[in-house]
Amino acid sequence: MADIEKFKAKLLSKAAEKGFENAEFYYQSSRTRRVNVFGGKVEKYQDSSVGGFSFRGLYDGKMGYYYSESLDESVIETVLENAKINALLIESEDKEFIFDGKNAEYSEVQTYDPSIDTVTAEEMTEYAIKLEKAAYAADERVKNVLASTMTVGESYISIGNSYGLDISEKANYAFGFADCVAEENGTAKENGEFAFYTKKSEFDPESVAKAAVEKTVAMLGAQSVETGNYKAIIRNEALADLTDCFIGCFYGENVQKGFSLLKGKTGEKIAAENITLIDDPLMKNGLATAGFDSEGVPTRKKVLIKNGVLEMFLHNLKSAAAAGEEPTGNGFKQSYKGTVGISATNLYIQAGDKTMTELCAMMNDGLIITELSGLHAGANSISGDFSLLASGFLVKGGKVLSPVEQITAAGNFFELLCKAKAVGNDLKFNSGGVGAPSVLFDGISIAGK
Amino acid sequence: MFDTELANDILTLACDKGADFAEIFAENNQKSSISLINGRVEKVSGGIDSGLGLRLFKDGRVIYIYTNDMSRDNLLKMTAEAASGCGEKSGEAVRVINADKCDTPHTVKNSPLTADKKYMIQRLRLADEAARRYSPLVTQTSVGCLDSVQNVFIANSEGLCRTDERIRTRISVNAVASSETEKQTGYFGPGGLKGAELFDEIDLEAVGTEAARSAVTMLKADNCPSGVMPVILDNGFGGVIFHEACGHGLEASAVSKNASVFAGKLGQRIASPLITAIDDGTIKNQWGSIYIDDEGEYGRKNVLIENGILKGYMVDRYNGARMGMAETGSSRRQSYRFVPTSRMTNTYIDAGKSSPEEIIAATEYGLYAKYMGGGSVNPATGEFNFAVNEAYIVRNGKICEPVRGATLIGKGAEVLMDIDMVGTNLRLAEGMCGASSGSIPVCVGQPMLRVSKITVGGR
Repeated sequence: MADIEKFKAKLLSKAAEKGFENAEFYYQSSRTRRVNVFGGKVEKYQDSSVGGFSFRGLYDGKMGYYYSESLDESVIETVLENAKINALLIESEDKEFIFDGKNAEYSEVQTYDPSIDTVTAEEMTEYAIKLEKAAYAADERVKNVLASTMTVGESYISIGNSYGLDISEKANYAFGFADCVAEENGTAKENGEFAFYTKKSEFDPESVAKAAVEKTVAMLGAQSVETGNYKAIIRNEALADLTDCFIGCFYGENVQKGFSLLKGKTGEKIAAENITLIDDPLMKNGLATAGFDSEGVPTRKKVLIKNGVLEMFLHNLKSAAAAGEEPTGNGFKQSYKGTVGISATNLYIQAGDKTMTELCAMMNDGLIITELSGLHAGANSISGDFSLLASGFLVKGGKVLSPVEQITAAGNFFELLCKAKAVGNDLKFNSGGVGAPSVLFDGISIAGK
Repeated sequence: MFDTELANDILTLACDKGADFAEIFAENNQKSSISLINGRVEKVSGGIDSGLGLRLFKDGRVIYIYTNDMSRDNLLKMTAEAASGCGEKSGEAVRVINADKCDTPHTVKNSPLTADKKYMIQRLRLADEAARRYSPLVTQTSVGCLDSVQNVFIANSEGLCRTDERIRTRISVNAVASSETEKQTGYFGPGGLKGAELFDEIDLEAVGTEAARSAVTMLKADNCPSGVMPVILDNGFGGVIFHEACGHGLEASAVSKNASVFAGKLGQRIASPLITAIDDGTIKNQWGSIYIDDEGEYGRKNVLIENGILKGYMVDRYNGARMGMAETGSSRRQSYRFVPTSRMTNTYIDAGKSSPEEIIAATEYGLYAKYMGGGSVNPATGEFNFAVNEAYIVRNGKICEPVRGATLIGKGAEVLMDIDMVGTNLRLAEGMCGASSGSIPVCVGQPMLRVSKITVGGR
């Protein structure tokens, strides 16, 4: 780390010499290890250690960016020169900022646990072998466990800037994943389950295998249903995936540039009263838990939709200033390779109090949608329209009748939010860090037979 | 770009420690991007990726390590660690001497490293202005470009040592048309295995106008009806149906695990006799082309399906060994951070005999999908889905009103059999394909074709 400190000091001082009014050094390194088991044996073992930095600085009031994976002092000139060239090309009139860190108070967040660091390659292998074995053992119709993996990762982020800001955060995690194929009467179904761990004591391959197999075999024998308009419960994971597609509408930058239909709707009712949407970066054990964003701004918990009413948007420094609001600590970049945009941090629809049985009883006749596919293509992130491959179960008289496949579910996300009839108590996060409970909706357009 | 002596030492050390096979993939990739929103340059950024991935095989197991600490000490230390579990020494390492001459046919005229960014911006503006001029309903635009100059060095313990420089440039044009309650988008993304000459080869005004026309047309369109009906897929990006419904299932990564509906079907009929499908990595300067693949094999033209009969898979070294099949120049990865595996390059259904006019005229009722969006497939079950960006109802042999929000779903094996007309107007279109070895540039393609029945999801 001493080398990084030295490099940072040199880079920032050279940047000042070159005429950058303010500048920032963002460094990120990570180590990731992964074991894949197939057929009872290790198929693949990966171990990576990478790092790199991003420089950004204000030149003539415009923000120039450049990154490098080499921290050799010889790259400094190239990086600064390219960042300057890039800054001079910018025409946007938006005011840009490097965080001055004034009055910044950082919350304590739990992103690191020493027990994760002690996980050995042998323990990872043991986990993955148990996972695969448990998947085969869970049901005789499981014919192929395509993936049985354990990943252990650790990362380090450090941000320093010409205002003297100097912060860093260490994080680690483990991730188990099983993916299986079950067959019956000549047809196959495939599904998977993951678990995100923040402590070694949480490792439980059997429950991951069980969940993956349950999801998969439940769909065997699935049929399409008649085309029509259905009442539907969108189950937690599927609703989290769907919500994930439309988060961009809550990003200040999109609102300001006209890429969000929520523009000007703050204070208005945009969802049913039982819908509350929260962004909580301070959450314990969250995938996106962080104490500060990529600009160094402290993060905090925010309520975006409160009982159906739109309360606020998410901001980075630039969009907050343009809106005349406080930054919200959502100014993230994907890695040192990216530029600062906006990202949600553990965004979720708040759980209600209904069990799945109660939701089914309320619905009486309809569908449970357990999976939505093709979200990157079939959902229009601006208009809210979606038309997606779906699967799930047919419910008659409040009872789950049979599995359903080869249907599409279509609607508009924002219209759907207004049609939420009841909210389940089963909040679950997807692997992208977005969460939702199961929710009963009125009127979803289904294409089938 | 990488010291052959060091490569030699790494590979020898790995094999001495017991690896059956060792391979180095070293990379330096200079990237830059420009984005204009509503006609103003909003973001300009770039950087340099550099790193090395070392892949070892031992008794059917893969060990992969990667790093961007390229110092000799670190690389040898990581090699020793990676190979430490291999056990008994099993073979002789072949000495790496010199890299074969890089004789790529995909030469560029104007390297992005020296191209004038101001000129590129000026050209992008043509698309932006044309889109906004098209209609007052066009309320937002975003246009931009990405380029990369990727130098790779690949060497393995069998003595292969090759280098390549891959220069790619892509332009994106996005127009948003709005009414009070709706927003619809039109998008095009032309690209090539080429440099900044792309900015002069593409009629950017026409691209901008077309993106705007598509967005405005869809803004005024009614919702697509739902149900099972004949679907006419137009040429170019329509080929995404083959890419998703069949292409992924012909990749050795799925076939070797018996995780594809097309596993074990070589020589059998898997498609309508009208279908011949090809994966061709050799098309000059095409977006999905490769001179060498990411394990150093030369790119080639592979016939996948001939007149409906399955002829071949796309095979990489690892899965090829498992299947007892030779590599087909199909092994690809996004960067040194990914273990390479079998992937597509430029994949298309070859031209047939029907004119596009005949196909439309022969259709009493159905959906005409002019522009496709993206999609995805589950290779294990063959279930696919993809979005239609611009569609029309066909009635009595004529293209009638536009409809929006259509999604097509089905099972790959069934849809291939149900293709009943294939057009003459083959065209390729650029896209990005994501899978286990990362996001890579590919082309999809086809002439206009008709599928006798597909489930269409509308509203």
